[in-house]
Amino acid sequence: MRHSLALLVTTAMCAVLSPWSASAADQADQISRGQYQAILGDCAACHTKPGGQPLAGGAPLETPFGPLVPPNITPDLETGIGSWTAEEFKTMMRTGIGHGGKRLYPAMPYPAYTKMSDRDVSDLWQYLTTVQPVKNEVEANQLPFPFNIRFSLFGWNLLNFTEGTYQADPSRSDEWNRGAYLVTGAGHCSTCHTPKSIMGADQEGQFLKGSSLQGWYAPDITGGNHTGIGSWTSDDIVTYLKTGVGTKTIASGPMAEAIENSTSRMEDADLAAIATYLKSLPDDSKATSTALPANDPRMIAGQAIYRDNCSACHSADGKGAMPLFPALSGNQIVQQGSPETPAHLVLFGSQGAQTDARPTNPSMPSLAWRLSDKQVADVLTYVRNSWGNAAPAVTESDIKKTMESR
Amino acid sequence: MLVGTTGSAFGRTFSGGLPWKAASADPPVPISPGGWRFFTEGEGRLVSAIVDRLIPADDLSVSGNDAGCAVYIDRQLAGDYGSSSRLYTKGPFLKGIPQQGYQGQPNPSELYRRGLAAITRYVAEKYDGKAFGDLSPDQQDSFLTELEADRIELPDGVGGKEFFGFVLNNTMEGFFADPVYGGNKDMVSWKMLGFPGARYDYRDHVSKHNEPYPHPPVSILGAMDWASK
Repeated sequence: MRHSLALLVTTAMCAVLSPWSASAADQADQISRGQYQAILGDCAACHTKPGGQPLAGGAPLETPFGPLVPPNITPDLETGIGSWTAEEFKTMMRTGIGHGGKRLYPAMPYPAYTKMSDRDVSDLWQYLTTVQPVKNEVEANQLPFPFNIRFSLFGWNLLNFTEGTYQADPSRSDEWNRGAYLVTGAGHCSTCHTPKSIMGADQEGQFLKGSSLQGWYAPDITGGNHTGIGSWTSDDIVTYLKTGVGTKTIASGPMAEAIENSTSRMEDADLAAIATYLKSLPDDSKATSTALPANDPRMIAGQAIYRDNCSACHSADGKGAMPLFPALSGNQIVQQGSPETPAHLVLFGSQGAQTDARPTNPSMPSLAWRLSDKQVADVLTYVRNSWGNAAPAVTESDIKKTMESR
Repeated sequence: MLVGTTGSAFGRTFSGGLPWKAASADPPVPISPGGWRFFTEGEGRLVSAIVDRLIPADDLSVSGNDAGCAVYIDRQLAGDYGSSSRLYTKGPFLKGIPQQGYQGQPNPSELYRRGLAAITRYVAEKYDGKAFGDLSPDQQDSFLTELEADRIELPDGVGGKEFFGFVLNNTMEGFFADPVYGGNKDMVSWKMLGFPGARYDYRDHVSKHNEPYPHPPVSILGAMDWASK
């Protein structure tokens, strides 16, 4: 009797234990899947301050409407999201309405995250609950009146926001659909690469055609040859996103950070899917530019400035020396409608993305101490209109604007 | 323990990317324009007259003074060079061999102050109270030649040959150094020599034998052709 009771108890315990072990393994899987979602969504880009505690709140984002500070999303009860429920998190990701009905500013890319699947959002939530809680009070809303009134977002959402998870296009391949899901959803590429309306929403029909942000210009990444990535092969795109180094260019600025924190850590299959999707974006850019004549005074001065300041690395013929020195000839980043990125590089210098594949990230020195605004404008005009490049001339006031952006 | 502490005080470890900071640069500071920073008016006149004899104006170039050599020396003496602030300056003071350079105790600013005073006194005593600048070019040249040859004994125990060496060296530095330091006005010496200036890449020209280098010189501060007309 005693013996059979013991057996019974053991059996009962097993019956209880087995499902529990299975669910622990499931939970571990879910957490690591969620960690991958955090990489895809690049949460750290905004929610971790440079040199700060992971996800405990970021550096202020300078929006056209004023500064917004990305909040603490560690599971700290008082200052983080420790008091949120899974359901509240999902609602926030879907609709931009957070804990206690508080409306988020679309600097939080919920217009993209709304496309994420239930499973991916729930995995991400599980992961976030396991992050080290950090006590760090963040005053997110530092906008001036009237933008500091969160209710105004109700109207913004009505006009600019469509809720809903990604709907696969059955006429396309699984890989294309995966790429579209990543680019338009978690990857939120359009947050930087799509030009914004006066309300700060993505402009209709301008998807990924390039946009200004924080003194940089996120380039056109649609299919055009001139400013877009039409001349890039899928492999070029994958290599660039994995290593930070393309065939002609090295990532800089916010994209270098996105590559370091996010794309370089994505699975190869996902990068290939992203490339497949981006390569399918049409080349409908009508904008063509004619190069300025070489005898334009700005071109003549620009050439002298280029020879004395740039040619040692980027070479007189603009071919550079990859993978160390970017080629400028045929490089799309110097031919965008806006010269902000090359202006930023010349004025402040830049350090390339640092990835496992390219650990010795080269850097470009700042030349602002040596060149006047006019000289920076002229040398960029020269670079944008030489060796087959063509783009509008750069003015002194363009340079002043970039100088003040920092 | 002490070794460990010292090690950590001086050692720095970097992980991840190389350290880098946006908008950082450590360029040389251009000299400030205007009057003398170290010399008195009299000293300034004397040095201007000397550098004009060391590099007289001719069909090759403007004179040493017109090229800014006296201003160059003045700013150097007013700065780290004059006070030897970046050198070890404690004893023992041994003579040293010529290749070791100057080994004496007085720093360059002290040497100039005493040397210029000694020359002023010597010239006044020898030429009826005249200043060096009032002598004829031939008289000036003959004085400097004698000074260099160590055949003049300056008052106050000043080593004339050694001091002449300082002035000649510093004049050449001013004449050939980058204009950012006050001399070599408009890159005059570089144009004279065909020296291309602050450049470091000649890949496009190494294979062009017996062809003159086509580009004008460039200073740390830039070049004339950087301005669009």
